[in-house]
Amino acid sequence: MSKKFWYLTKMSLNKKIKSKWFIGVNILFAILLLFFLNVDKIVTFFGGDFDSTEKIVIVDETKQVASSFASFLNSSEYTAGENTRYQIAISEKTETEETKKLKKENQILVVFQIDQDNYLKAKLISYEKMNALDYQVFVQAINQVKSQYALSLEKIDPTVLGKLSAPVQIERTVLNQEKNLDEKMNTMMETIFPMIILPFFMLIIFLVQMIGADICEEKSTRSMEIIISNVSPKVHFASKIAAANLFVLIQGALLLGFTFLAFLLRNYLTNGSLLGNLSTTLGSVWNSLATSSLIGKLWYFIPLFLLLMILSFIVYSLLAGILASVTTNMEDFQQIQMPIMLLSVSGYYLAIMAALFEGSLFIRILSYIPFVSCLLSPALFMLGEIGVVDLLISILMLLGIIFLFVHYGMRIYKAGILNYSNEKVWTRLLKTVKNKDV
Amino acid sequence: MLKVENIYKNYGSVQALNGLSFSCDDGEIFGLLGENGAGKTTTFRIIMGLISANKGTVTLDGNPIDYTKTDSIGFVTEERSLLTKLTVEDQARFYGALKNMSEDEVEKALDYWLERFEILAYKTRKIKELSKGNQQKIQFICAIMNHPKLLILDEPFTGLDPLNVKMLKEAIYDLKKEGCMIIFSSHQMEYIEEFCDKLVILVKGKPILAGRLQEIKKEYGIKQIEIIGDVEKSDFEKIKGIQKIEHIQNQWILHIENQEVVKKVFQAIQKKNIWKFEAKEPTLNEIFIEKVGGAK
Repeated sequence: MSKKFWYLTKMSLNKKIKSKWFIGVNILFAILLLFFLNVDKIVTFFGGDFDSTEKIVIVDETKQVASSFASFLNSSEYTAGENTRYQIAISEKTETEETKKLKKENQILVVFQIDQDNYLKAKLISYEKMNALDYQVFVQAINQVKSQYALSLEKIDPTVLGKLSAPVQIERTVLNQEKNLDEKMNTMMETIFPMIILPFFMLIIFLVQMIGADICEEKSTRSMEIIISNVSPKVHFASKIAAANLFVLIQGALLLGFTFLAFLLRNYLTNGSLLGNLSTTLGSVWNSLATSSLIGKLWYFIPLFLLLMILSFIVYSLLAGILASVTTNMEDFQQIQMPIMLLSVSGYYLAIMAALFEGSLFIRILSYIPFVSCLLSPALFMLGEIGVVDLLISILMLLGIIFLFVHYGMRIYKAGILNYSNEKVWTRLLKTVKNKDV
Repeated sequence: MLKVENIYKNYGSVQALNGLSFSCDDGEIFGLLGENGAGKTTTFRIIMGLISANKGTVTLDGNPIDYTKTDSIGFVTEERSLLTKLTVEDQARFYGALKNMSEDEVEKALDYWLERFEILAYKTRKIKELSKGNQQKIQFICAIMNHPKLLILDEPFTGLDPLNVKMLKEAIYDLKKEGCMIIFSSHQMEYIEEFCDKLVILVKGKPILAGRLQEIKKEYGIKQIEIIGDVEKSDFEKIKGIQKIEHIQNQWILHIENQEVVKKVFQAIQKKNIWKFEAKEPTLNEIFIEKVGGAK
C-alpha cells in the first residue's frame, strides 16, 4: 500500500509542479522579487531630478545665522550619505538682486531677516515648486537656527548654549529578561516581520487551493470512484496531505532562492560584484542580532518556529482536504474555503499589529489558537511578548487539533469523497462524525 | 466465483437494496437490470468496497473483497471516470499503478488495446481532446488492461457508435473466454439479452426476477405468434386464449395467454397459404416492462 501512497503523492505533486502555470508563476515571482528588492537601484538607473544637487543661496540680513543654517542643512539625515544634496552659497547681495537671478540659475533663495517680536523671520523663494521633503528639511533647519539666534541675543553663555544644544545621554536598562529586547531590535521587527511572514501567508493560500483543486477535480470527473476502489480513503487522504505540504516546501524554497538572487543582484548593483561586501552585510546583521538579546534565544526559537510552521501547514491542509471532500465542484470549494482564508488573514493582520497589543492577555490567548498561532506566536515572541512556554502551548494545541482532524475528519472524508449530493450536507456530516463505523 | 448474498442497504429511510443475492462463475456474464435508482450502482459500489452493506456478504472466491483483492478487479463506471487533463498514456499509467502494474506492463497492454480499438494515434493526446466515444474506449482499456478476474461494467456502451460497440463486444467476449467474471448493467436490453448468461431485475432495490436468461424466457412462456399468409381476422376471432390481434405491415401479430394457444391457432389456419408462422419467445424488454410495470 505504501507503493500506491508514494505513487499518488508523486502524481499529485507532478500534476502541480510540471504544469506550465507553476513555471509561469514562478518566473513572475522571480521577476517581481528581483524588481521590488532593487527598485531604488532601478529607478536611479533610469535617472531623474532626485539625483540633482539643489543650489541654495542665503541672504542673511542678521549677519549671524547663515553659517549655522548651512551646517544644519548639511548634517540633516536626509542629506547625509554618499553625496551632499545641497550646494550652499552665502550671498552679500540684496534679496532683490538675488531674486532676479532665480529663474536663470534655478536656485532656492533663503532670506533671514530680523523680527522685532519673534527674533527671526525667513523667506523661501524659488522659481519652481519645492520638493516636499526639502521643504521639511528647510523648516526644521530654520527653527533650529532661530533657537540658537534667540539664545545668543539673550546673552546666554556659549558654554551653557553648547550644553543646551547637546543631546541627552540615555542609559537604557530592562530588568525583565523575558522582555529584554532592545528598542532598535523591536522597531526592526515591527518593520521586517510582516515581510518575513508574507511568504508564509501566501504559502498557506497555495496549500489550501492546491489540495481543494486536486480533490475537487478527482470528484467532479468521478475518477475518485476508481481511485478509492483501489486505495483506501486513508491512503488517498494522506497522499494529498503529503503532496500539498511537499509542494509548499518546494515553493517556499524557490521563494527563498529568488530572494537570495535579488540580494545578490542588489549587491552587484551597489558594489560592482555579486559577492563583494556580502560578508560585511551579513556581519552587520549578525552584529545587530548579537547586540540584542534575541541571539541567545535563536537556538531554540528557530526549531520551534519551524515545527510550528510545519504543523500549521498540516492543520491547514487537513481542514482544506476535509472540506474539499464534502463539496461537489470547484465553485462550492471556493465558497467553503473562505472561512479558512479569513482565519489566515486574521492571523496575518494580528501578527503585523502585534506590537500594538503590548501586554494584552487576549492576544496572548489568541496566539495559542491553531490557524492563527503560526503567524501570531512568532511575532509576539520576537517582540518579547511571549516566551518559550507559550510557543510550546501553541505547538501542543496544533498537535491536539491534528489528532481531532485525523480521528473525526477522516470519517467525514471517507463519506464525503464518494458523495455527490448537496442535500442536507451539514446534517449528514454531523451524523458521519458520530458514526464510528464509517 | 463472485457471490452476493442477501445484501441490504439503506440510505436513511430509503431502502436502496433489499435482500439481493446472486452469483457469477468464472467466464460468465451476469446482467443487472433495473430502472434508474433501482440499486444497480449501489450494488457495484458494495462489490467494490466503496460502501458497506447494512447486512449481507460479498465474496470473491470465498473471501471478502478488500484492498488486497481489488488489483484483480476492473471497473467501468457509468460516468467517464477519467482525469481529463491527463494524456491517454498518463491516465493509463495512473490507473495501472493503482492496480500494481509496472510501467512496462501498462505500456505493453496500452499499445495492444489502443491498436485493437484503432486509436493508437491518440496515445499522447489529452483526454479532454478526445470524442466521448474514444474517452469511453480509454476508460474501458484502463479497466481491462490488467486482465481482471472480475470486471464490472456499468453502461459500457454509452456514447458509442455501432462499429465501436462491436469492437467492445468482441473484447468482452475475449475476456469471457479468458475466464473473467463480468457483471454488466445496461438500459439497452438487447445487449443484456445478447451477452448475459444470468440476470437479475431490480425494482426499488428488490430483486423481482433472477436466474438464467433461457430459463426465465422458458418460464415466461410464448406470448406472441407472428403470421404472414392468406388469413383473415375472422380466422382467429373464435379461438380462445387470444388476447389481442394486430395487423402490421401485412403481418398478423397475435398476443396469446399461454403456449397451448399456439397449437389451436396452427390447427385453425394450417390449410391456408402460410409463408410465416412463428411462435416467438418474449424479448427481455417485454419481460422487463411487464415485471417492472407489475411490480410498481
